[in-house]
Order: sequence, then structure tokens, then C-alpha cells
Amino acid sequence: MKCRFLVTGLLCFFLSLQQATAQQKIQGNVVDNVRKTALQGVSVQLVGTQAGTITDLNGHFTLQLPAMKKMPESVVLFFSMVGYANVEKTVPLAALNEALQVVMREDLLKLDEVVVTGQGLNVSKRRLSTNVTTISANQLKNLPVSRIDQLLQSQIPNAQFKLSGGQAGATSIVQTRGFNSAFSNSTPIVYVDGVRIDNLNTAPGLGMNISGGISQGASTSALSDIPLENIEKIEFINGGAATTLYGSDAANGVLQIFTKKGGASKANFTAGADVGVETATNDYLFFKRTRDLLFKTGMYNKYSVGVDGGTSDFGFSMGASYSKSSGVLIHNQNQIEKFDFRTGFHAKLSDAVKYEASFSYNTQNLKRARNANVGGYAGLWFAEDGASKIIGPGFNPKLDSLNDADYARVKSFVDSAEMLQNNGSVVNRFQTSQTIRYQPIKNLLIKGTFGVDYRAQTEQSVVSLAFNRHIRSNNVGSLSKYDRNYLGITLELTGQYDYKFRDFSFLTTAGMQLFRNKDEQIAYIGQDIRDGALTIGQAATKTSNERFSDVANYGIFLQENVGYKNRYFLDLGIRGDGNSAFGKSIGTQYYPKIGVSYIVSSEPYFKQWKQDVINSVKLRANYGVAGIFPTPFANDRTIQFNGFDGGQSASFGQPGNISLKPEKSYSKEIGLDLGLMNDKISFTVSYFNNTTRDALFVVPPAPSSGQANLLKNIGVITNKGWEFATQIAILEQKDWDLRVRASANTVENNVESTGDAPSFALNGLSSRTIQIVVKQGYPVGYISGNLGVFNPDGTLNSYIPQTFLGSTIPTLTGSFGLNLRYKNLSFFANADYQKGGYLDNWDKQFRVNYGASTEGVPAAEIAKNGASNWLNYSQLFVEKSDFLKVRTIGLVYAFNKQWLGKTFKAASIGFTAVNPFNFTASASDPEAVMPGGAQGQGSATTGGLNYANYSAPRQFIASLKINF
Amino acid sequence: MFHKIGYIIGMATALTFTGCQLKEVVNPNITDESYLGTTQSAQIWLNGMYRQLALTLNEVVTDAEITSDNYYNNSSLSNKVFDIPTILYSDLDVDNMQRAIGKLREMGDYGIAKIIPADKEATAHIKAEMAFVTGYACLLSGELYKGLPLTANGPVVPSADLFAKAIQHFKSALALQTDATRKNYYTLALARTYYNLGDKVNAVLYADAIMKTAPLLLLNVKFDGVNGVSNTMQTYTFSSSTNTYAPLPRLDFLDPKYYHVGNMATDQKPIAILKGEEAYLIMAEAAIGSGNLAGAKTILKNLIQEVVSKRPLASVNGSLAKRKGNRSDYPLLATVAVKADPQAPARNGLILDRQAGNITVYTVSGTSVQAANIDAAATEDEVLYLLCLMRQEIFMSEGRRMTDLGIRFPVSQVEMQNNPHVGAADIVAVIPAYIPLQLGMDDFIYDKANGLVTIKNDLNKILVQNKKAVGVLPMLK
Repeated sequence: MKCRFLVTGLLCFFLSLQQATAQQKIQGNVVDNVRKTALQGVSVQLVGTQAGTITDLNGHFTLQLPAMKKMPESVVLFFSMVGYANVEKTVPLAALNEALQVVMREDLLKLDEVVVTGQGLNVSKRRLSTNVTTISANQLKNLPVSRIDQLLQSQIPNAQFKLSGGQAGATSIVQTRGFNSAFSNSTPIVYVDGVRIDNLNTAPGLGMNISGGISQGASTSALSDIPLENIEKIEFINGGAATTLYGSDAANGVLQIFTKKGGASKANFTAGADVGVETATNDYLFFKRTRDLLFKTGMYNKYSVGVDGGTSDFGFSMGASYSKSSGVLIHNQNQIEKFDFRTGFHAKLSDAVKYEASFSYNTQNLKRARNANVGGYAGLWFAEDGASKIIGPGFNPKLDSLNDADYARVKSFVDSAEMLQNNGSVVNRFQTSQTIRYQPIKNLLIKGTFGVDYRAQTEQSVVSLAFNRHIRSNNVGSLSKYDRNYLGITLELTGQYDYKFRDFSFLTTAGMQLFRNKDEQIAYIGQDIRDGALTIGQAATKTSNERFSDVANYGIFLQENVGYKNRYFLDLGIRGDGNSAFGKSIGTQYYPKIGVSYIVSSEPYFKQWKQDVINSVKLRANYGVAGIFPTPFANDRTIQFNGFDGGQSASFGQPGNISLKPEKSYSKEIGLDLGLMNDKISFTVSYFNNTTRDALFVVPPAPSSGQANLLKNIGVITNKGWEFATQIAILEQKDWDLRVRASANTVENNVESTGDAPSFALNGLSSRTIQIVVKQGYPVGYISGNLGVFNPDGTLNSYIPQTFLGSTIPTLTGSFGLNLRYKNLSFFANADYQKGGYLDNWDKQFRVNYGASTEGVPAAEIAKNGASNWLNYSQLFVEKSDFLKVRTIGLVYAFNKQWLGKTFKAASIGFTAVNPFNFTASASDPEAVMPGGAQGQGSATTGGLNYANYSAPRQFIASLKINF
Repeated sequence: MFHKIGYIIGMATALTFTGCQLKEVVNPNITDESYLGTTQSAQIWLNGMYRQLALTLNEVVTDAEITSDNYYNNSSLSNKVFDIPTILYSDLDVDNMQRAIGKLREMGDYGIAKIIPADKEATAHIKAEMAFVTGYACLLSGELYKGLPLTANGPVVPSADLFAKAIQHFKSALALQTDATRKNYYTLALARTYYNLGDKVNAVLYADAIMKTAPLLLLNVKFDGVNGVSNTMQTYTFSSSTNTYAPLPRLDFLDPKYYHVGNMATDQKPIAILKGEEAYLIMAEAAIGSGNLAGAKTILKNLIQEVVSKRPLASVNGSLAKRKGNRSDYPLLATVAVKADPQAPARNGLILDRQAGNITVYTVSGTSVQAANIDAAATEDEVLYLLCLMRQEIFMSEGRRMTDLGIRFPVSQVEMQNNPHVGAADIVAVIPAYIPLQLGMDDFIYDKANGLVTIKNDLNKILVQNKKAVGVLPMLK
């Protein structure tokens, strides 16, 4: 009903369009300047119109020229492709029938690349004072990973993606320019073709609890099921001035996926198969026998097909894949099965109007093993933490010291305990983006976008009577199911007008955007149910619960980019937002930005210099504001109702806050971008200084008030640091290519103020054990625990409670990449690293408690007090979380076309190792941490506590890809 | 050009209208303003107070039981330091307990001040019950803390003021209530409060009334596992597969008090907050305090005969309690004898063999003390010892022992950070010097070969030795 106006409006609009008339064609080929190879996927655009196409596998294009009342003397074609310098060709009318030969050269700095994200509409990077990272499909095509955050590991120079559980589909922790918020998860918001999609990267408010609590173990991430098929490119911008136009939603940055909407000329089919094995990453296991107890070698299969084609008037592109990973846990308790489907097309509705659409559907079905703090039984807790001492019949927890007969008993117990688990998550997700581009006059482009992301997740956790009996619990069997249905709707209308006056160029962008996210969660739980019965209706006792969240954010924005002599640019913008989650006394919130960009290398005096050493120099500086809106409905003071003893019961609900507003990140940045040695080297350096004001803290009130925690805008958090990124084309020849890239990012994070509020925990256990805490004067999320003071003889003298034991935030992060090609054979490797952070190895600490090991504790203390002080010297278990992890190493061979005959246009085989090498300072995996936020769904987390969490497995995958 | 402008206006209009529709969000929750004065608002608020009382007991009982010699937390679940006892104002459980009690009291104050005046259907019974539960929150505050705020962010008042407030509420409840059984509850609550205040005259006055008119009085607080309010003490002593809490071996026969059969969620046993036994125990202690040993002995024997022996028993499969955890040397055989401390005689019958068949559970009260033991007690200290032992055994798993030992919790760190009235003295726990530290309350030696458990410290003996200490045995002062 609500969409009635839009649909009616759009239909009227379509029906009134005039049909295009007869047209002329222009054809040509595009090749790489060094390798002389055909370039596929180059965008060819007729300047000043909507007409455009892309090159096919052979670099060939055919562009239909729109009918014009009066043909001009010449037409201008604009060729662009991610990673290549743009080319503009003026073709005289007389030469239209001649095949056009276009040569493009790679451009590492990409100064004239056109980007969209954060700009309203298309803008050349030259004009921008902020950085936009663009990743092409080409860059990603050989990485056989199946989730977006894993795909981006080591690909974005200044963003770090850590898969925090290692279990199938589990959440990740993203760090970009530190942590702006102690309230909201640091995951950037994600757009697909202009439509905001679900990016929940923590456990939902109501969800499967097989890890001890919302914050304490693996839970399914909405990032894990974003389809990766049919992607054309990905753009990423940091929170701050770059995301000002996204207003109250984007302080953590924006990741936008652009999908393919068409191919070149006739249909081009692709097919691929990835087959391989998976093995457990057992580098961090304490007991040698744990591997044998819990892990196995698994299989990975992925099959994909795709087709694209079209003309400048109509194009289509489709990709689909099926993948199955059996996982590395025994009894396939981490299996994941996915089906992704995405299609996109574009159609010319008239010379001035173009329609683009993309649809995707995917389903993901995964299994989840009990983990972390679930209690009762969890494989790693049992084996690695010494809990085998107390679980089931009870065993000697020193697994490696057991004789064969005793070990056989342990193995048999674990085998049954794993087999009897049946926990999983099923996701069905549908997305669409519908876009109309309307160019009524040459200098004005209007774009309207409407889209939906609907994600339905059902989690199921079975605790059978057989399992309970096996672990010696005296409870009955239960079946718990949790539905989470997310519906996100985005509406956006943006207009851009470019105008030149003498040496000035103006790019005016204005628009309005609305998104609405509805998140409905239902828990339905059956107790006392027969083993094998998998519907709640069959249970003797049934209970249910619901969590409902709904938020609407609506804003208008205006941006003016003024250029002078194509080298001095001033970028001004403002967004005003209303949001249903704001308090009643809060009106529209404004987010301004201002930036300057100066292309020094375009100065006439500069051009007279030796340009083969320094080709491009860009200086930029900006200031901007971006926000994060508060929790929906937290602004109202409410009464809470619960069923109790057969009737309703009422008590204090949330305390409410009429002045609740978004927390705002004020960012200042200066940067220098260099293109050196004939553009063989790109080098970027930035300094950023972000201050989050009115930071939202979930503040515990005095116990004497009887009130629940209160969400208040009281904090100040700062992040500052340097970012360096470089790419070097060491070798660029017809037969040889060698390119390396590296990045290094520092961050200094500090909670400047908590507004006199008490410290609070983001994660962890309890204050007397280990917590990840936010406190004034310290970094967001530091390890807090008891600091033991030892006597000279090694015995514990005393301890200081709740002491800073280390920051969980690494102060240095970065990545490396290497691409080497010899003729048709390519080798690539990607790695990332971090330094300066700490973790608490709770597994090690727990082993002391259960007598499985006394490693790390002075012998004199153990001799005197046994393990009774195990919580009082937590610093002994805090380790540096420094690591260097090689994410992918691969080899790809592309067959010569002459070998393929007429049936196949292209074919390649590859071999890739995923997660092959880890170098860590800690005895535990710095990434296998308790991932969630204790403050609830979508809350901040920085990791830092290792507790019975699985590491991401290794994969060795052979790939075959063909085009026909 | 008009066409073009028309298109643009059409698109913008369509989006604007749709946007206006989409931006309206309705909060599905009920605000406090809209709740006041609605049908049954007082009744439902009272039920919320009962629920909060159950939640409060979950904090109080589990924490107080391990902060005593009754139970040792033998697993990693629940608090690992109260056993020692280490009670820091920064401990999450210190905050949780105070928060639960604070919410119960605030709910009562809000109910009396706001909900009841606005609800025409609020009966005298509802008013009385609200006053009683609020008073019980004040009573718990006084028993567990040496001082707590009586209002939100208010000054920390000493336990005497907390008890005085409790008395005020209980008397108010008595005046409003017409039901005789409930009046008895309030009367026993008054006896207990005056007992805590050391007001022997009033304690005896109200306790005697109960002893004479309602010896089997039993006020239970209900739980509701189906709606997420399970009895945590039941979980820790019976339902948890890791046998969270292990009883002191001499109290083994009293474990568990709460259990489930079949579906745990639907079988959550209640916890008694007021029971007739307490009137006898108050009267006996007052008699000892007055030098009337014979009277005290008679009351204690009557207690066994008239009350404890009449409380229901249950036959329960307790075979999963294998006591495996941080300590795995708990005695498991009925043949094992127990010495209450190295100087005490060995006693049989205190340990249950849970593998030999169903065990007998004392669902309300049980005691190892027999009439003959009482008859044999000659001196004041000997009678007092039996009184202490009976108090411990009868109130087992009800969260009373910590207070009886003279231990008091500190005001929480979060209270201090929010409330300027909290001073440095308020945030320190009261742990009397006679309390053995380093897990000394729960420690024992098990001589497996000879089937003998020797408990390191007999806290009842220590209590008798320290009977004049502040905060214990108030009727002796």
C-alpha cells in the first residue's frame, strides 16, 4: 500500500516515454597498452547522453548512436575501466564507419576514476578531497571465497576484516580508522546498487544460544550471505567527510557493491568449478589430541554459471552458484551450503531515460557447533580448556597424558557429544534495486532508486534428551527456533548538474533519501519434546517471544563541487536528517562537510618538469561529519510486561530519553596522493583525526534507582592516525608482470570522556574475571582483570582488581599483496597484519582452573596455592595479538585461445590455498575471539577474549573457469 | 521541456509521497504515562513485584549461600570469589544483588505512590501486598548490607533505618489486610525484622503469636520457568549438568532442597521466605538471651516435633550429583562419617549415596538435630550451638546463612559512581575477623581409606565463640 504512489508514478512515467528511432552504430576494439591484450568489460559511453555499452571478451564493442534531430560534426566517446586511465575519443561523423582502435593504460593512482559512493552521483576522483577505494571484479575473480568480508581481507588498504569465530557464516570484526563508537558495531553500512542492505554483524537480539550469551560465541552474520555473483566493482569509503551525504548512518564507512547490468553484444556464457579440501587450522591447539578429537578433513565444492550480453539499448547479466563446504568438524557440524543467484539488466527507455535493475536471491544453510561459554558441553571447552574434568562422567583433562584406553573413552564420549548436536541457521534473502536515470539535458542527470533487501533467517537449536543424558544433564529435550525477518527499503532521488564557466567547473548535486529498516524477531521454543521431532507443535510445553525494531531515516542533501582550472577543487556539502529513533526534543540533525583538492601536477610549471619521475601529485584536506543513529524506540519511557505465574506482570521498562540524538563523528583529514615513475608507483598518505562527540553510551544507572540501563549521548572518543598505501608495478612487459602493494595504518584510540558515567563492558565474562571494558582515559575495549602482584619467591602476594591489562585495538594494521604473471601463468598472494593489540587467552587461564595445565603460572605459586588464585593473576594470560596472516596464495593458468577451439572463448585453471600461513605472537588465534557485543544486537565489539572459539579453516582449492 | 519538467515533478512527487508514508513509525511498546490508571494496572504491577521478588531471590540466595559455609561453587558458573570470601564493591554480582533489591523497593515505592492512586480497582489486599513486598525489600537490604540507599540515588542509611522502614511497611500491610493467613505472614515478617534490630520484646511478641497460631506457616515465592524466571538455586544445586554448587559434607543430606522431575521449565520449585520454624528459632534464641535454657530447649524440641517433622519430604533421583569440579574429592558414600571440625566427634548419616537409589529431599526444612541432642545440651553454649546448627540446617538453600555469620555486602561500585552520597566506608564488605579466609569456610579433608571427612572449621562453634560480636545472634545482646 505504501508503495502505491511510487509504482503509479513510475508507471505513468514509463508510459509517457517516446520510442527511440533508427540509429547509427560505432564499433571498435580496446587493448592494454603493454600487453596488447584485449580488455573486457571496458565501459564505453557516449558523452552527454545515456547511450553506452561495454567491451566483450575480445575487447570489441558496438555502440548504437541515438537518433538526433541534427547530427553534430563529431561525437565523443568516453572509455573507462577500474584500474585504467580514462580515455576520451572524439570521432568525426565521417569516421563513424571505421573501426575505432583504443589503447588504455593501467593507472595505479586512478586520479580520474569516476566514483559514486558518498557523492550522490558520478564524480571524478580528481575533484574529491576524500579517498574512495575501488575494487574491480578482475581483482576478485580468482579468490575462491564465498563471503564479502573474507573477500575483502587485505584488499582495502585501510580496512581490516577479521573473521571472528571461524565457524561457518559467523560474524566478523571490521576496523577502519579505529573504533568511532562504543555503542554501535564498527561494521560499515553496505549498499548494493544504491540500496541499503542488512549488515548485522553481531548476534540478533533473539537468537540461538549455543555459545553462552549474545556476546559470547559464534553467531550468523548478515555479511556472510551477501551474494558474490555478478559483481562489477566494489567501492569503500571511510566514515567522516566521505560519508557525510549518508548522514545519521555512516560514521563507520560505507561499502557499496555495484552489480553487472549487461554484457557486450551476443551472449557470453561462463562456468566455473572449485573443488578442494579443507583442513582445521590447528596451529593454536594446546593438546595434540584435540585435533583428533574434534576435527576432520572436509571437502569444498562450488559450481557457478553465468551469462551476459546485450547492446547499448538493452543488456543482461546473470550469475548463479552453488557451493558446499563440509567443514572441518567431525559429523559435519560446521557444514555450509549456499545457493546464490543474481541478475541485472539495463534498458534504454528513450534517448534520455535508462532503466537499470538488479535482483538477487540466495539461500544459505549452515550448521553450528556449540562453542565458547555455552556450558554443559562444548567441544573446544571440553578438550582445550580442561572442562573434560567436569563434563559427563569426568575425565583426566590432561589429554596428551592419557593412556590409550582412557583416551579411547574420551574420544568415544566426544564423538557422541558432537554427533548428538543439531544446530543450524537457514537464510533466504532477496534483494532488488530499481533505478531510473533520466538525462533531460546534456548537463543534468537525475537518478531515482528504489530497492528492497528482505532477509529471513531461521535458527534452530536442538538439545535432545539423548544429548542431555550423554552429558549427564537431567533436563528434558528441547527445540528452540528463532526467526529474524529483516526488511530494508531504500528510496533515493538525486540530481546532478554540471556547468562550466570559463575556467570554473561546477558540479551541483542535490537529493533526498529515505531508508526504513524493519527487524522482527520471534523465538519459539518447545520443551519436553521427543528426540527427532523438529516442529515446535510436537513439544509438551511451548513458549515464544518477540523483538521488534523499526526505524525510518529521511534526509536531504546538497553538495557543490567547484573546480578551477581543473586543478583546484572545493567540495562543500550538507545533509539534514530526521530519524524516528531521535528523542522528541531533537529536531533535524545536520551533517556538513568541506574539502579541498589540489592537483599540483596539473600546474603548468609542474608539467614542465621531468614527468617520468613524478607524474601526479594531489593534495587534499577535508572536514566532515557523519553520524550513527540511536537504538530505535530507546527514546520512549516504557513499562515492561512479562508473563508471570499465569498472568500479566508489569515493571519498569526502558527509562527513555527525550534528548536522544545520533552520535557524530567529526573528521579531519589531510592527504597526499602521488603517481611516480611513469605511474608505475602510486603512493598515498593520509592523516586523520576523528572525534566522536555525543557518543552514545549504554549507561548503568545507580542500582538504587531500580531503572534499566540508559542510552545517553555523553561520551567523547578520538581516533587519529596515519595511513600509507602504495602499489608498485615492478615489471610491466608483454610476458611479465610483477606488481606489489602494501599498506600500513596507525591508530591511536582513546575514550576522552565517558561523561562521568561508570565504566561498562563491551564483551567478556564478569568484572572479577576478564572483561573488555570502556573507561575514560583508555582505548575503547581494553582488557580488564585482576593484576597479580607476586612475591620474590614466585608466590602471589596480592592483586589489584579491574586493572588495565592491554588494549584490544591494534595500533598498526595493514596488508600486502603480490601479483606475478608470466605469459598465461599468474601467481598471487595476499596477506594482512596487525600489531600493538592484546588478547586474553582465556583457554589457557581455564586450563589452570581445571588442572589441565599450569603453563605460565610460577611453580612456587602452584605449589603453595594450587590453582585457587587462577583469577587473580590474569596478566599472565594476556598475550600480544600481533599477527601476519597469509590469506590467499594462488596460481592461475589461462589457456591460449588457439587451444580452445571454436566452442570455448576462454578457459583457465587455478589452484588456491586459503589461510595457508599464520605467524602470530600469541599462543592462541588473535582472530578466534568472543565476537559479540554484550550490549546487545548491533553493539560495539573489539574482540580480545579467546574462549573456546574455532579458527577459520584452511582450504586448498582447484578451480576451472571457462567462457563459451 | 514541459514534458521533461513533468517527468521530474512526477518522480519527485511519487518519491515524496511514498517517503512520507514510509517515515511514520509506531512504537509497539506501552509508555509509563499511558499505563497509569488503566484496568488492573495495580494488580498487574503487583504481579510484577512478585516476579521481581523471585528475580531478587535468585541473586540473594545463590550469592548468600556460597558466601557462607553452606555451599561451595564447584564449577566455573556463578561467582568464583564469594566462597573465599572476597566481596569487592566492583564485583558484578555485588551490583546485581543490590540492583535487584533496589528495583524491588523502587517498584514498591512507585506502585504505592503512582500506580495505586491512579487505579480505581486497587483493593486493600493489593495495597497491603505492595506494602509487604516493599517492606521485604527493606528487610533484605538490612539483613544483607550494613547500609543502603532507601531512595533512588539517596543517602546510604544504616541497617537499623532499613529495618525501621520495613516495619513501617509491614505494619501498614497488617492494617490493610483482612485475610488471616496473610496477616500471619506480615506478623512473622515483623518478628524477623525486630529480631534483626535486636528488639527482643517485639521480636518475641510477634514470633510468639506465630508459634501459637500458625506454627506451620509457609510463605513461598513462586518461580516461572516457562516465562524465563527459573529458580537459579535449583539450577545450581540440581538441574545443572556440571553440579555447580557442592554442599559442605555435613550438610550433604539437605542437598538439594529444590529439584525438578521431567521438564525443568515447568517444574520450578518455590523458595520459602517466611516459615513457622523461624518463630521458634527467634523464641529459642530470645530465651537463651534471657538465660532461660530450659525454655529454649523446649522450644527447639517443639520445633522439631511440631514443625520440622511435619514438613513434606520427597523421593528424588539425585544420581547426577557427582560433585566433579574444582574439587572432585567430595564424599559420595553413605558409609562416610563426618567430623564438623578436627575436634568434633565423627557422625554418620550425613552423607547420601546418590547412586544407591532415590534420595529423600527435605522440601521445606530438615535437621540433623534430634530431641536427645537437645536434652543432652547442658550449657548455654551447647544449646546455642544446637540453635545455630538448626538455623543453618532449617534455612539451608534459602540465603539466610551469610547474615547469620555476620557477613554483609558492600554498596556497589556503580552506585558509588552514580550516587554522590556513597562514602568510602560504604563500599567495604563486612567480613568479621573470625570468618576463615582462603576458602576456609568450605574446606575439608577426606580420608577415603577410613571413610572419614574432617571439616576444617565448624562455623557454628565459631559463632558461639563470637556470640557477643556485632551482627550475629541479636537476641543475645
